[in-house]
Amino acid sequence: MAAHERPQLPPDQQILSAAVTFARSLRAYGMTASVDSELVFIRTLTELDVRDRRQVYWAAHATFVHSPDERPVFDSIFERFWEGRELNLQPRASEHGESDIRSIGPAQGGEALPQYRQEGKERKPALDGAPAKATREMSAPDSDEGAPNDQKGILAAYSPAEQQAQKEKLEYGEDELSAVRRLGEDIKRAAPRRRSRRMRPDNGGSRLDIRRTVRNCLETDGEALRLAYTAQKERPRRLLFLCDVSGSMERYSRVLLGSLKAIVSANTKAEAFVFATQLTRLTRALDGRDLDRALETARGAISDWSGGTRIGSSLQEFNHTYGRRGFARGAIVMVVSDGWDRGDPAVLSAEVRRIQLQAWRLVWINPRPMLVDQQPLAIGMRAAMPYIDDFVPGHDPRAIAGLAPLVGGLGKQRPRRKFVSGEQLKVQVRPLPMHGNEQNPKDRPLPANQWPTAANY
Amino acid sequence: MPGFDSIETLRAGLTRERYLVDDGLATVVFLALRLKKPLLVEGEPGVGKTELAKTLAAASGAPLIRLQCYEGIDVHHALYDWDYPRQLLQLRAGGSAPLYSMEFLVRRPLLEALEQPGAVLLIDELDRADDEFEAFLLEFLSDFQVTIPEVGVITAKEPPTVIITSNRTRDLHEALKRRCLYHWIDHPGLKREVAIARARLPHVNERLAGQVCAFVQDLRWLDLYRSPGVGETLDWAEAFHVLGRDHIDSATADRTLGTLLKERDDLERVRDQGLDARIQQAEELAVKLEDHRGAPDGRP
Repeated sequence: MAAHERPQLPPDQQILSAAVTFARSLRAYGMTASVDSELVFIRTLTELDVRDRRQVYWAAHATFVHSPDERPVFDSIFERFWEGRELNLQPRASEHGESDIRSIGPAQGGEALPQYRQEGKERKPALDGAPAKATREMSAPDSDEGAPNDQKGILAAYSPAEQQAQKEKLEYGEDELSAVRRLGEDIKRAAPRRRSRRMRPDNGGSRLDIRRTVRNCLETDGEALRLAYTAQKERPRRLLFLCDVSGSMERYSRVLLGSLKAIVSANTKAEAFVFATQLTRLTRALDGRDLDRALETARGAISDWSGGTRIGSSLQEFNHTYGRRGFARGAIVMVVSDGWDRGDPAVLSAEVRRIQLQAWRLVWINPRPMLVDQQPLAIGMRAAMPYIDDFVPGHDPRAIAGLAPLVGGLGKQRPRRKFVSGEQLKVQVRPLPMHGNEQNPKDRPLPANQWPTAANY
Repeated sequence: MPGFDSIETLRAGLTRERYLVDDGLATVVFLALRLKKPLLVEGEPGVGKTELAKTLAAASGAPLIRLQCYEGIDVHHALYDWDYPRQLLQLRAGGSAPLYSMEFLVRRPLLEALEQPGAVLLIDELDRADDEFEAFLLEFLSDFQVTIPEVGVITAKEPPTVIITSNRTRDLHEALKRRCLYHWIDHPGLKREVAIARARLPHVNERLAGQVCAFVQDLRWLDLYRSPGVGETLDWAEAFHVLGRDHIDSATADRTLGTLLKERDDLERVRDQGLDARIQQAEELAVKLEDHRGAPDGRP
């Protein structure tokens, strides 16, 4: 342990200060090492042979690591700690460990570390039709050698060019922010509910509440004159969003992100994921109180804005990580995508089917439907179609703002599912209710015969 | 509870109960016992999370108290309830005993764990319970005492050893994780899995155990939708044994594959890739493993 650096302290003091330094460097790398955990860690050291690396490792692991995703970061810090190397809070950008640390997180389907989210701010906005490709290629190392050393932790690993872009923010206008807030309110009101197994006292209920009935008996000399009843509580049903943020969806991503923020804040059970070539979970990033900041954080967490689309493999990633753990079970799953997929359509339809089997209801919202005779044009879309409960064609970015009434109309009843083979596409097209002033002709959905086709898009 | 005074004695105790632990798990369980902290274990289904608590109870001769969590579980299912029929009878009979006293108290697992000194309390699949229950549990775990309004405060004389398992279907609250020691149980490596199979199924010969484990280990690399756990490995080995086979053959493997893989897609995928090549590979690996061990024991 880094103890030998301070020979003037007695041994137990050395161990103590080493433990504290260790916890501090974990924090510096974005792990939640609370003071509680620190104290527990110090207590564990009194029970162990502190010369045995494995014992100390597992003790530290048990106290500071709270999820398998945190392991790579933890391991590399522990390595340094044990080797007595500098627990450098300003590691150099070129060092090996940092690039490793950087690679975990959203890329592997895990939660992004706070730093990524912070750091992501620095990327140039790639929303609303900005030339994203160019932005991504901007990151070539620039001048300004000294700058990274002023940064802490993995921030240093990022190139100055990206840091410069920091100043440019998403900058949602005040009207947009209030629209997002309004959508949140609407969703909250419309949120579909499911019955919980918990009971609440309700004398109009159907199940006898023996507990309260016995209490009532006390007042009437043991005669059960007043019966008490309970009814089942209701809870919000989980809303799960899987949103495409690839290049072809770029012009929708700004309003999409805002809507996701509104939904996640409004519904305690909502989960938001985005994908282009890989999957990123945004729920935590979007959960912050401060609307503006949450949006920035979320945007930063997305590692592949406007990349190519691999819907099939992204959904597969979802199924293998979160789906397997039951995220989609009983949920209303909404996929927002235009269905332009560069992957194998067979993979896509298999994964969509798998989601449908777990979900209460699977809705596909397509802001660029490109229908010919009511049938979607995109190959991916066709592959997914047989396994979708509701297909919602939109026609422009505002379509997403119509989510609240849409969500409100779902979830009362389980959809009836007929398993059709991939060949017969029996599509149930559900018109999208629009949000707000319907009287404005611009806000009304276009009639189906005016939807854009491949030719004029 | 007879204390385990070192990691090694703990490990030996668990091994005697046929539960083999690696260094990490042994250290963490030892610390949980010593620091009297709850231990939160997570891991893929079938890695032996629940089994850990059962074995720990058996090894230390302590009673195991199990609380299976489910959605909507509340205080009356987890902590205590009143014996209503008896209360009503008492009322009708005009008895004089107070209705809300220990006499009419029904003890649920958490209360039982407080009253039985040195019990092992297994709180299984906590992620299935809801946030409200988690918050209640947080309070319970921090001071091991509960307040029953009509009776008073009940405190544990000796706090129970608490093992909490979760399948990560939702994130547990950070505060709860902070109260606990944490461990993620991985699938065991080949050697340890063979040792587990041998320990759990002493009637299965070493060759079969080695082949089955090698086969399963290989499948875990496939990124299947549902990777087989140790439980499934044992089932599969047992299946061969019951069918009177002392090694893997492809016909039996094909027929019994359903004990190992429970998803149609996974089954199809493994069958399409051909069982024969896999079996041959598993056989070779099993032979290597036996040779490597130098075979001083166990071989007929």
